[in-house]
Amino acid sequence: MVGLAAGIIDATVRAATPLILASLGEIISERGGVLNLGVEGMMLVGALCGFATTFTTGSPWIGFAVGTLAGAAMATIHAVLCISLKADQVISGVMLTLLGTGLTTYFGQEWVSKSIDGFETVAVPVVGDALVGLPLVGPALFENTPTDYLALALVPAVGYLLFRTSLGLEITAVGENPEAADTMGVPVFAVRYLCVILGGAFAGAAGAHLSLAFSKLWVTGMTAGRGWIAIALVIFAQWRPWRALVGAYLFGGIEAFVLRSQALDPTVTGIPLAETIDGVVSLLLRPQVMSMYPYLATVVVLVLATRRVLDEQVGAPSALLDNYSRETE
Amino acid sequence: MTGGYELDVSTREDVPAWLVYGTPVLTVLGALAVSGVALLALGVDPVGAYETMFVGTLTTEFGVSQTLLRAVPLVLTGLAVYLPLRAGLWNIGAEGQLYLGAIVGTWIGLNVDAPGVVLVPLACLGGAVAGGLWGLIPGLLRARRGVNEIIVTLMLTFVGVELAGYLVRGPMRGGQGNFPVSAVLPDAAQLPSLGPVHVGVVVALLATVAIRLLVGQTVTGYEITVTGSNPDAAERAGVDVEWVYVFVLVAGGALAGLAGAIEIMGIQERLRPDFSPGYGFTAIPVALLGRNGAFRVLLAGLFFAVLVVGGSSMELAYDVPAALVEVIQALVILFLITAEFFKRYRISVESVDRTTPAAPEGT
Repeated sequence: MVGLAAGIIDATVRAATPLILASLGEIISERGGVLNLGVEGMMLVGALCGFATTFTTGSPWIGFAVGTLAGAAMATIHAVLCISLKADQVISGVMLTLLGTGLTTYFGQEWVSKSIDGFETVAVPVVGDALVGLPLVGPALFENTPTDYLALALVPAVGYLLFRTSLGLEITAVGENPEAADTMGVPVFAVRYLCVILGGAFAGAAGAHLSLAFSKLWVTGMTAGRGWIAIALVIFAQWRPWRALVGAYLFGGIEAFVLRSQALDPTVTGIPLAETIDGVVSLLLRPQVMSMYPYLATVVVLVLATRRVLDEQVGAPSALLDNYSRETE
Repeated sequence: MTGGYELDVSTREDVPAWLVYGTPVLTVLGALAVSGVALLALGVDPVGAYETMFVGTLTTEFGVSQTLLRAVPLVLTGLAVYLPLRAGLWNIGAEGQLYLGAIVGTWIGLNVDAPGVVLVPLACLGGAVAGGLWGLIPGLLRARRGVNEIIVTLMLTFVGVELAGYLVRGPMRGGQGNFPVSAVLPDAAQLPSLGPVHVGVVVALLATVAIRLLVGQTVTGYEITVTGSNPDAAERAGVDVEWVYVFVLVAGGALAGLAGAIEIMGIQERLRPDFSPGYGFTAIPVALLGRNGAFRVLLAGLFFAVLVVGGSSMELAYDVPAALVEVIQALVILFLITAEFFKRYRISVESVDRTTPAAPEGT
């Protein structure tokens, strides 16, 4: 039982990393007022470019950098279409996912079934070697790949950027009320470009982490819906980095649990209605049923958040989905 | 700097006719041209590959019938996106509604004992109701609570897909061995065939006509269009916008659900968790390409069906991944939304003299 629990905790931490990276990126993009539904596509491109580069150069770090840049390049298409050409953000994002899926399936064939060394797990410096031996949480917390740590470090970094810097204020201003921001002299278009491209870089990094540290393989469609989960997570986290971290562990925990849930079949006995409760519990623990939870939770949070927005509390950026154009005389 | 040029972007007052009719054709040609580069990258002759793709598909009976069969779910789900789009709503969850329709259609086909004349329409109806209910959720949330329908329809898609995955492993499992599939439908629940195709082709055609009449000839259709162009003005003019929102998403969901039931009864013969190659997502470019009318949705659905069928014969003949079709789809959207910009705005280059500041007032 302890072994199983430790396995689930370890798998949760590992499953959370791509979700953390991708949702942080989407938070930046959406806070700037641009929804990007292309996360899945950008992650796939990041994963393939990262893998191919690592295979060619032998260095996972170069691969990770190239994967990140590839995600940013994909996002640049979205930025040009939505910010400069004022295209519909939904349709452009869906296009990006189609494009990423198609391109990586098309060009990825020759990379399937090749293997790389990728990122090795390393213990946290100084305290790591001593703490890895901790029961349950030791390996999960203190022995991970460099990109796992990077993702964790980026949570406070993005929080700082958004809430403690003047650029963060400008991003919020541009996402809430671009007209007012423009009047105040904030370069609306430049800030939005930056947010979208940065968001793409994070998504590319999430994909590169998948192929370089998580599976160390390239598999067609290997993101397996994580990009959509990341978009759900942003709403679940109500556009806040720290809540995204918590949400990533929740959603990652579900993913980890789903893979192992056959091992768990709790039975209740000795109380009234034991059989009914048993039936309900085992239904709720079915892998496919559990896989629905992140999406259902997102809908519930969205409904609650929408009501709060009506109560003038913080929620979605007000100008999300609104393309900005200056009035021309 | 003594001077320079500046791009001047101004809103067009009216769109020239050549731009309106030329856009879909030019975007498709542009997408094919760019994808030709991807073909060259894998060392394939693009002209030959495209010839296989289009000529080979459209000149054989097999190719044409396959195209028609593929077009059925694409047209129906395309309409499922098109109708809400008329009202200004994005239904990007047609895939989930399709799954719900497939689930309920399969269940009725397996569990109701009736002759085909009754059973097939009943299963179609059941599928449409299930898809409609799946659309009712985002519809009500949008109308009553103002909850963004994009996210809700998207999230419910994944719930629907997982639901099918659960059912074929649990209550509806009927395959031999451990395969996650339902039992095979009885003969009574197979769609009647019309030569090489099934009766679903007629259903898709009738649905297109019905939506065309609904949008163009009825008060409801007029209210949908008014709501789509300006919901506030529609509200002031006495249109029940909440009702319109619920209606378009329920009707759209029903069309997608119908597509699911037809796909199972006409092609698959049993429910599989991965029976759809993303019809409900391809429906989005279909609706976008055909956003100006139901018959254009029909044409766009047929075009994408040709791509899919032609893509698989190209894969066989040239050993290139059929995923090129997805790239072409994405490029069609990309060029289409770029062209949309040039339709709305006129771009001209103006020379500006930066040395002279703007003349002060009064001179």
